[in-house]
Amino acid sequence: MVAVFHAASAEAQTSLRELLQPAGFKIAYESYVDGNSDIFVMNADGSNPVKLTDTPTEQEHYPQVSPDGTKICFVSDVGEGRETVRSLHVMDIDGKNRKKIADHAREPFWGPNGKRIGFLPQEFPKFDVIDFSTTGMKFYDLATGEITPHVNCTNLHHLYNPSWASSGKWIVATVHAGMGFDHAILLIEAHGTNIINLKIHGCRPCFSPDAKQVAWGASDQELAAADIDLSAERPRIGKWNVRIRDKKPTKIYHIDWSPDGQFLAFSRGPDSGGDPTKPRTHQAAAEVHGVYAQGWNIAAVKVDRAANLRLEQATEADFCLLTTNGFSNKEPAWFRPRR
Amino acid sequence: MTLIRFLALAAVAGLLTSCEKSGSNAPTENKLGGAGTDAKGGASQPVLVTTKSGVDMVYLPGGEFMMGSDRGNPDEAPAHKVKLSAFLMDKYEVTHEQFAKAQLPNPSHWQDSPQRPVERVRWRDAKRYCNERSLLEGLKPCYNEKTVDWDCDYSANGYRLPTEAEWEYACRAGTEGPYDFGRADKLRQYAWMAENSDQKTHPAGQKKPNGFGICDLYGNVSEWCEDVYSPTYYKESPPVDPHGPPNPGKDVKRVIRGGSWKSSPDQCQATVRQGERTGDTDACFSTDFCGFRCVRRVTPEELQQLKGSK
Repeated sequence: MVAVFHAASAEAQTSLRELLQPAGFKIAYESYVDGNSDIFVMNADGSNPVKLTDTPTEQEHYPQVSPDGTKICFVSDVGEGRETVRSLHVMDIDGKNRKKIADHAREPFWGPNGKRIGFLPQEFPKFDVIDFSTTGMKFYDLATGEITPHVNCTNLHHLYNPSWASSGKWIVATVHAGMGFDHAILLIEAHGTNIINLKIHGCRPCFSPDAKQVAWGASDQELAAADIDLSAERPRIGKWNVRIRDKKPTKIYHIDWSPDGQFLAFSRGPDSGGDPTKPRTHQAAAEVHGVYAQGWNIAAVKVDRAANLRLEQATEADFCLLTTNGFSNKEPAWFRPRR
Repeated sequence: MTLIRFLALAAVAGLLTSCEKSGSNAPTENKLGGAGTDAKGGASQPVLVTTKSGVDMVYLPGGEFMMGSDRGNPDEAPAHKVKLSAFLMDKYEVTHEQFAKAQLPNPSHWQDSPQRPVERVRWRDAKRYCNERSLLEGLKPCYNEKTVDWDCDYSANGYRLPTEAEWEYACRAGTEGPYDFGRADKLRQYAWMAENSDQKTHPAGQKKPNGFGICDLYGNVSEWCEDVYSPTYYKESPPVDPHGPPNPGKDVKRVIRGGSWKSSPDQCQATVRQGERTGDTDACFSTDFCGFRCVRRVTPEELQQLKGSK
């Protein structure tokens, strides 16, 4: 299927790349190269990948770029198996001035003004790679180094992959087997106790930069984006604007918006359960960060051409792979570099 | 067969009055009383013991039994004689409380009672729990986490999932029919299943135990076993301590045994076999009828210690 796609659309592939080049954006992502997971940055058309971390004893992944494009926070794993210690770090966008924020913590997310980083404390001291192994929510203040709990911290349980709206009031996250929910995508009041079930199937929600849409993984083979009015008393999902579908056994995950809201990047690769021969990785579903995902790459689409996009039929005007080496390239995070 | 049937009947007298748990991690009283001993000093009939970490288990002496059925589903045939070594099996399905004690994130759908059995547990998560519990008790873990399948070292003294043969041996409790307690119309006394479960799991141990004093084998949640599922395995299964067929490498299913809160009575029978995908590639495994219990090998000397520590 992939071969057919390439043959049929080789001529058109240039088109989307041509659109991505002048936009001047960059994308941070995780990749596992030479026995180690690190944070990379590339141009938004996939050119000039640069490794930002180079630490043989640490596995860096899950990069999140600050709204102003100057800093990256990410997680770093040290150790093996159940003894792994996952920590949060922040560094400048060029990889300098790295600083540890917290141990036994995961899935960081930036506050709307870039002054605070939210994160999810690990549920137990003993490590488990599964992403919902969290309890509570905390915030790190970059200026003071102070960590404060969410006002509803004790009632937040088994959340994962949060995203904080630029308008400030709401955080969106997935919950699995927690807070009385089987599995749901929730709006969580950033400074209050309100929680709203968005009643959409799937996981890993991500607000658009203007906070007027939310994108998420509707299934292993579908990414979606829809309107959301966060000024409403009880915001809810509105019109669906994006539906990107793929075919089994390929999975598509980790959707993220470009700073202008015109493009979406995501990870794409075959269904698998990890590779125990890769040092310091874990066995779980390929899309879980910290799991080696053989054959996974970063891809991009243009939002206004993705209202009903089937990747197996897409031309390269609609879709392109930004990485091609398949070295567990996941978790894209767009940013606009400072001039 | 005769010996096993006698032992089961002997156990029934003292053990089978109630399966109810007395509270959080509280072991039930050893009601078996003067268990017989074999030539090596081990017990020759089921014995209730409590492990170091406070889990109730039943010692099952080794023996021979007829596994499978020639009158059931095609994958249950042929009925064949199997000989098993002695082992300990959890009296109850692994509960939320036990899962949390092993510091594992509880994926269960129903979260309102720590005594409910865990469900939505992947096969590998169940094995992870076994290893964690082994480490908690200073035992050697059975599973090698560096291998694709987390290969099982059956000679290790740690916890593991039961083999399909061990599960059926425990469930049949020395009898030959589909239910060890006899008539199908008694099943409601022994199992939470579709017709009495209110479509949910229930705290472990509220139904009557089987003839070996083990609870919820027929219902509540179906239970992962170690074996790869093959519908034709009984035609080639070895007669002593069978461990299931080799991993075919593609589209692998593992055996689950016993009925669940959503099963029909027929699905709760002791010989019914099911294959289930392991959930390795699902970030959110949603099979909410899949739980498990643990087994481990035990030496006669160790059994004496376990009995003495009560």
